[in-house]
Amino acid sequence: MFTCRECIDSLLDYLDGDLSAEQRAHLDAHLNACTPCVEFVKTYRATTRLCKEALQRSMPTEVAARLGSFLRENIHPAHAKQGAPVKPKG
Amino acid sequence: MLTTSTMEPSDPADALLSRAQGGDIAAFEALVGLHQDQVFALAYRMTRSEADAAEIAQEAFLAAYRNLTEFRGEAAFGSWLHRITANQALMRLRHKKVVGQVEESMESPTFNERGTLVDAVADFARNAEGQALDAELARAIAQATDALPEEYRRVFLLKDVDGLSYEDIAQLLQESVPAIKSRLHRARLSLRAAIDGYYAEKE
Repeated sequence: MFTCRECIDSLLDYLDGDLSAEQRAHLDAHLNACTPCVEFVKTYRATTRLCKEALQRSMPTEVAARLGSFLRENIHPAHAKQGAPVKPKG
Repeated sequence: MLTTSTMEPSDPADALLSRAQGGDIAAFEALVGLHQDQVFALAYRMTRSEADAAEIAQEAFLAAYRNLTEFRGEAAFGSWLHRITANQALMRLRHKKVVGQVEESMESPTFNERGTLVDAVADFARNAEGQALDAELARAIAQATDALPEEYRRVFLLKDVDGLSYEDIAQLLQESVPAIKSRLHRARLSLRAAIDGYYAEKE
């Protein structure tokens, strides 16, 4: 059975599904017996979700407007590599 | 009325890409509209500069337009766009000395000599469940992310916030996948501790 340290050191691979069956069994056995580590796993997992939400940002309206003008000035169908319209593959 | 002979893909975003590839500028502009927030946000988080992020978005979408025919499906277009945005942000950062506004710090759990966790662990995940993120917590997270050493911050942002693959990040940062995973784990531990500290202070 893993120690708390081994359990926490393996969390990334555990959540990615990259642990071997044996390692996973050691980790599950530890989690069955260790409430602090169960809570730790929950908060480790929640960290990614909370950070992702906290760090979202939209393109400001004036930046979007400048991007629109920039692209209209700089793109022309002839600049795309294909030169001729591409038919979608069926 | 739709006919069965139409060659348009069934996914609306794929159909948009397909029309853009055929030279339909309005369809390309619609694709830009679908991705502009994510592209801007990625570039802004990496460079911490709105002006740089705006220029990077322009360069990224122009490059996307010039390579439009190479994409098979809108998902491939989206991930390519994120990779090129990250690459352009990293190139700018290489030419700039990043001025740290905060002391860099990393927090990690404490164990005793037997490898047992000695920190008290409170389940903040339950507090945060199903609620809109409060502005104060969002600020605490932004500060904690800024306080990560730069090489950890970049990996965390690219993987957990922008959803790039380990392989793409390893290639962009010219590091091995195990090195990327190790940094990601340490960044998550540090941010977990910061969020834990935020909730502990609130109680």
